[in-house]
Amino acid sequence: MTRYYVMLSIMMAVPASAQTMDQPAPVAQCPQLLPPPPEMASWAHPVSVDAAKDARGLAAAGISVDQAVRATLKGTGDIQYITRPEKPGGSVSYGGMFGFVVKEAGTYRVALGSGAWIDILRGKKAIASAGHGHGPACSGIRKMVDFALKPGRYTLQIAANGDATLPLLVARAR
Amino acid sequence: MALAGLALAAAAPVSWRWPTPPVPQDNPMTADKVALGRRLFYDADLSINGTMACSACHEQKRGFTDGNATRPGVHGDPGLRNVPGLANVAWRKRLTWADAALTRLEDQVGIPLFGDHPVEMGMKGQEAELGRRLGKDACYRAMFAKAFPEKKGRIDATAVSAALAAFERTMISFGSPYDHFLAGKESTLSPAARRGYAVFSARGCLSCHGGRDLTDDALHAILPGAPADRGLMEKTGLSADRDHFRTPSLRNVAVTGPYLHDGSAATMAEAIRRHAIPPATGPLTDVQMTGSQMADMTAFLDSLTDPAFLSDQRLSMPARACGRPL
Repeated sequence: MTRYYVMLSIMMAVPASAQTMDQPAPVAQCPQLLPPPPEMASWAHPVSVDAAKDARGLAAAGISVDQAVRATLKGTGDIQYITRPEKPGGSVSYGGMFGFVVKEAGTYRVALGSGAWIDILRGKKAIASAGHGHGPACSGIRKMVDFALKPGRYTLQIAANGDATLPLLVARAR
Repeated sequence: MALAGLALAAAAPVSWRWPTPPVPQDNPMTADKVALGRRLFYDADLSINGTMACSACHEQKRGFTDGNATRPGVHGDPGLRNVPGLANVAWRKRLTWADAALTRLEDQVGIPLFGDHPVEMGMKGQEAELGRRLGKDACYRAMFAKAFPEKKGRIDATAVSAALAAFERTMISFGSPYDHFLAGKESTLSPAARRGYAVFSARGCLSCHGGRDLTDDALHAILPGAPADRGLMEKTGLSADRDHFRTPSLRNVAVTGPYLHDGSAATMAEAIRRHAIPPATGPLTDVQMTGSQMADMTAFLDSLTDPAFLSDQRLSMPARACGRPL
């Protein structure tokens, strides 16, 4: 429970689509990875999913809420985003898209193992984030962004990732 | 053709004209150069792994800052200093937080691109890769050829820096309520902001935050420094320069937090309170003020925001280049 409050304390309420990358806990100060907070427990047990490079590929790139993913991304030059990311990556970076379904209205937290740019789309419209922050120290989670979502189908866009693989998780914030 | 870019970007939100910013003779302004610089500013291919454009840290909606205290570089190296805003940067006599010798935007570009203290965009030793990477794009080849006909289309770090500097010189902000007030439209400044300006003046803030851009462009020591950052002393080696940092412009200050060279002040009020200098060492001897005075001061600082600058499409990420969507 303590860890849960620690995580909440590092999320900052910010307006609109603010999505920043303040200093994460230095890796050098982490002799070993610590377990994530309970609501993000699946972070330690990801399943593999290949990102879609365009809208047609989304059906095969579905992810589930509360199930962490070891994502294999596409080269940025091969991607046709549904909506142009606010911070598109360069030609040597990686990204892609995933589809997910929200069954209950609430706050959902996207956690990443990098500082990549993320958008959550409803149709073609990007949802404004409700808060952002870095992950719990030494958890392997570098960045977390919160969104208030209603039931429905959404697209998660990843842009400007430095590596071809990316740990990520969409979790219901409880 | 010189200064054509400035004419392009300098919208006239108020009725009077501002002075022409200084432009180096060896990098005259052209519309083609500004267009190229704008595209480069938003292109993450200027970083080693394609994850960080200039705009990653310089977000227009935040006065070209990023909302972080400091920001890690492309490899995760911790950032050292807070991202400065870019409004009217063409007029800055000194650039970055603590280098009195860095006076040209063309030279400053190398700090984030090729610097290693700290590593930001990670391109040190990768100048050839920069040209190779951009040169794979036919549109870039055409844009460089038009912007730098004397280089016959050669794409290199020098041309990249010159184009970025040209674009940055179009980041002109003279549309705040305070500007309108100075231009004679007194009603644009609220009573609270006027009272705040009176406090700002009476407390000596103008001694450093004076002039059109509310900075003297000089370096001062106002805070006891953190061991990790000795300010100007890191460049000069002189102990007298310890903790000396450049006075930041206060243009758009309300949207450029957090504040101070290390981003350690989360709010404007906190930043103001930390200007507590012992009487013997500086003109600002008393920043203690009542709650209403602080509210007035904050209202004045809010009046320095230029909304048109924060949303000017000519400064935003381009949607097209060479007639095609990006």
